Amino acid sequence: MNLKIWRLILLWSLGLGTWIFSPAASAQTQPASPPAQDPLMNLMLSQPRVELGLVTVMSSFDPPVVRPGEETIYRVTVTALEQSVELPSEIDVLPSLELRPGAHGQILQLAEGKQIPLTTFNYRARPSSSGEFIVASFGVKVYGKPMTVPGVSLQVVDKPADAALARQMLLLDFPSTNLFVGQSVRARVRLPGSPAGSVQILQQVQLTGQDFIVDQSSVRQSVPTLPFGGSNVVTFVYETTLTPIASGKIAVSAQAYTAGSYLTPQLVITGTAPIPGGLPQYRLLESDPVQLTVRPLPKEGELPGFTGGIGNFTLDPPKLNTNALRVGDPVRLTVAVRKNGEGANLSRLAPPPSPASQEWEVLTAVPDTAPPQVIEAQGFAAFHYTLVPLSEQVRATPAIPFSFFDPTTGKYSDLTIPPVPVSVKAGALGADLRTLLQTNAALSDAEEELSLRGLASNPGRSTSSLVPWQEQPWFPLVQLCPATAFLGLWGWDRRRRYLEQHPHILRNRRARRALRREWRSAREAARARDGVSFATAAVNAMRVASAPHYPAEPRALVGADVIQLLGNGSGLANHDTELVRRFFTVADVSRFAAGPADASALLNLQAELDQLLKRLEARLS
Amino acid sequence: MKCLVPVAQRPRRRQLKLGCGLGIGILLVFWCSSSGYSASSDTVFQAGLESYRAGDYGPAADAFRQSAELQPASGTLQNLGNSEWQRGAVGPAILAWEQSLWLNPFNENARNNLRFARKSAQIEAPDLAWYEVVSTWLPVNWWAGIASLSLWVAVAMITLPGILRWRKTTWHQAVAALGLMVFLLTLPAHWGVHTRMRTGIVVQKGTSLRLTPTEEAQVVTRLAAGEPVRRESVRGKYVLIRAGSQALYGWIEQSQLGWLCPRTGKLGN
Repeated sequence: MNLKIWRLILLWSLGLGTWIFSPAASAQTQPASPPAQDPLMNLMLSQPRVELGLVTVMSSFDPPVVRPGEETIYRVTVTALEQSVELPSEIDVLPSLELRPGAHGQILQLAEGKQIPLTTFNYRARPSSSGEFIVASFGVKVYGKPMTVPGVSLQVVDKPADAALARQMLLLDFPSTNLFVGQSVRARVRLPGSPAGSVQILQQVQLTGQDFIVDQSSVRQSVPTLPFGGSNVVTFVYETTLTPIASGKIAVSAQAYTAGSYLTPQLVITGTAPIPGGLPQYRLLESDPVQLTVRPLPKEGELPGFTGGIGNFTLDPPKLNTNALRVGDPVRLTVAVRKNGEGANLSRLAPPPSPASQEWEVLTAVPDTAPPQVIEAQGFAAFHYTLVPLSEQVRATPAIPFSFFDPTTGKYSDLTIPPVPVSVKAGALGADLRTLLQTNAALSDAEEELSLRGLASNPGRSTSSLVPWQEQPWFPLVQLCPATAFLGLWGWDRRRRYLEQHPHILRNRRARRALRREWRSAREAARARDGVSFATAAVNAMRVASAPHYPAEPRALVGADVIQLLGNGSGLANHDTELVRRFFTVADVSRFAAGPADASALLNLQAELDQLLKRLEARLS
Repeated sequence: MKCLVPVAQRPRRRQLKLGCGLGIGILLVFWCSSSGYSASSDTVFQAGLESYRAGDYGPAADAFRQSAELQPASGTLQNLGNSEWQRGAVGPAILAWEQSLWLNPFNENARNNLRFARKSAQIEAPDLAWYEVVSTWLPVNWWAGIASLSLWVAVAMITLPGILRWRKTTWHQAVAALGLMVFLLTLPAHWGVHTRMRTGIVVQKGTSLRLTPTEEAQVVTRLAAGEPVRRESVRGKYVLIRAGSQALYGWIEQSQLGWLCPRTGKLGN
């Protein structure tokens, strides 16, 4: 029993020790710092995925019951991305139901941990007579696949119930609809709450139309109580700044999605504003278009220094870094322009151009670098000029012409930046400043002489294409030509050097060629039954095939040399020795003897000769 | 004489003759086609000159455009710019003068006209990086020629003395070093040419810069004709551009832009 206990204690100790010293345990005891991750990647990964698989198509009338001549919204809603929905250009309806395209947009709604795209197409419908109007089902393409928009009916009755007529719509208004080009104006989009007091928040508010720009940095959202329909109603208000950029009649509409209780950080709620809870019902609402009349700025009466400032502005007294200067010392002049009232395009205000002066070098002003919303909030924009006195005679900074257009009076107003007194002592102009002044002077002289120069009398430098050679597809191919040439040269050089180091390769190759030549001659002689020529060609063949192995001049070899070579490495049969001797004998006799040699017997030995020469050829490879 | 030519060499010589004939034929076809283009381009160019001198700037612009489409030339594009300017088309005029300088930066008249137009219309010049400024010093095709020549001269001076067993001399090494240096110096210019190819000029007055690539998208701002932009990406008929020194981003229709170097290399594409 005791033994068992001690054994258990030993096992437990071993287990505990292993656990303590194991890397996993030490890792657990010392928590490792988490690896640093890209915050943008984290943000992206934290977003729910967008659901693109489940597509549903719905349609409805809002409201579904109207009086004849009243407007209602025919709304087609698809749970898919807007760009993937292909609607037919026209929807077939009865002629007594006027149907015009209205707003359309897309929003991502959160459901079950996913983002589901919701695309809405509004049509403004207006029935001219009472009855039931049916918009039959029709086909659309979503992600390239055919889907069906279900049919829906509209009841048009002369006296509908009040509740049936409740239609939510946006209200768009401007403080003034007569504007000048470039004049900023506050646009206010309102969504009145229900008579019970609840209000919906708006998302993706957009002003649609042509020839204007919207300043997104000036957006303000609030939920005040405003009069509507004869009583005070809690209302969602979205305000932004609109600037027309072309003259004429401009139609502006607003559109937005209702987002229930989705509160944005910039929202200001004053008083009591019940906001419905639960999941938001995203509905695309739109306003009636508002027409703005935009006039161009008058040309007459324009004052110097006008840089597009429209509104009512005042100038703070300009400030200098210091009033005591030396010639050549730069000084900073700060000018603050304040707006009076709404409608001034302060954040878009450009500083007036630097004046030309003999006594001052005025560098181009640096505009206010603060964000537009900060400029609008602080109510002024600051410009900074850098001035350099060129003479000790100056007593004040130069006046800088500046003006703005006041839309209330329809006239330009002067806002010239006044001179600031300074005292300037003598000093030397720096070399860099002198260079700058000379360059500026040269540039201004050159610019003064600018004018349109005449025609070229001939086409001049031409090309086949404006695309440069280096971007043409043939250019890399052309570069392959010299590259191939150099590679070929390099390869040839390597081969040459190798052969120089191994000359036997070249000798063997030449010997093989000569052997084949003589072998061919021997066969031809055999066919012609010319024994002497056959023997001579055979001997020559044996000599050229044996010469590289000594090395020696082939003509200097005799039969014994060939026999010796054939004997090296393998046993030479007697008939081979005899064969070589016979051929050499006949060849020598035919060459040196006075009488003709009898070589006819050798013609019968062609097969043996072929075997012999094959062996010699094999030794050359 | 025929007997002196070995039989085995006859087919080789025949192939050589055939090859030479074919090469000369191809060269002739190329020369005839290019001279035909050149002749018709010159004819249209002369017609454009006559129309311009007669004060018919519309037909003159059409003629110069046609001539430049047949064969882009610096003088033709300069005249096209003049004609467009005279008939009040600021954007196409600035585009044509920019293209004229693209082909020949030594064309002082085109450079002067461009400065004059920009000053008159209060339009900024394109904001160029330092390597893009370098690339404007010479015609765009010269950089390719200089880079190729300098590189292969350097390679030849490094390899040929060894291969041909010339005695290595100082001037071989000097020429090789010079060639390599010139090649390396052309690389920034090449990159500048490549990036400048994305430059475009707004050709329509009051072009809307939109937030998204759709017709109903919110307008961010309006761009004046002649304003330089940079292409960032293309989506359908819209192109994402960066405009001006304020780095405005937005989408505009491709038809409202003219590219300094159209993708097909021809005008109007």
